[in-house]
Amino acid sequence: MAVGKRDGKAGQDVLRRIGEASVLILISLADEPRHGYALIQDIKDLADVELGPGTLYGALDRLERLGLIESLPAEDRRHPYRITAPGAAALRAHLDSLERVSAAGRLRLQLGGI
Amino acid sequence: MAEPRAIRVVETVLRCYPARWRRRHGDEAAELAALLIKDGTPAGSIAWSYLAGAAREWLTPRPGRRLSTVACALLVAACSLGVSGGLLASAAPARAATSQPRGLAHCQPGSLEPVPDVTRAIGHPQVIIREAGHDRSC
Repeated sequence: MAVGKRDGKAGQDVLRRIGEASVLILISLADEPRHGYALIQDIKDLADVELGPGTLYGALDRLERLGLIESLPAEDRRHPYRITAPGAAALRAHLDSLERVSAAGRLRLQLGGI
Repeated sequence: MAEPRAIRVVETVLRCYPARWRRRHGDEAAELAALLIKDGTPAGSIAWSYLAGAAREWLTPRPGRRLSTVACALLVAACSLGVSGGLLASAAPARAATSQPRGLAHCQPGSLEPVPDVTRAIGHPQVIIREAGHDRSC
């Protein structure tokens, strides 16, 4: 099973190069809009990853520039963020790609008898 | 670190971000830091995270920031490094020349030979002590 650039699917996966933090943010925003603090807490719960606030805002800016998320009107001093339709599509493509890689890894472990 | 002081430290670090970023995220980032500190996150790690974020923010090319501005900033930084390096390099032989009489005190006796090239370069006679096949200059 060939997984990678050769099958052409990797080209559709725009999240391949933007880092784990961005993917975790998109996953956290997949069910509902969240602001910075809620994002950090949710990501800690779902992936056991403590995202630094500097990393968080860098990733939010990048995702917003790419049109994968949008900020909603501020509540108090907080901006909630929401995933966009292209963001949801990009996340789905990335998760599909991870699933293919994961399946290939499991298969190879099985074949190797490890 | 006491809470108000920790928040002040983080707010100082937030000033390192570009003005555009501060207008957009400044208030929220300060509030987020305060909440994280209240939760028990060390202020140092929050400040460090913001500092690294500020560095990334300045180094990432933006559509509004001209490439020539970034190039100029890099050129100025490279020039100042070059000038500092040059000053250090020019000061080193002078220091070596003035401290030479004191430096001879720690040299071990050996075969003393004057080295003409070195003499021409720094204007003082210099000796090289040969020990176990290695040249050591004093």
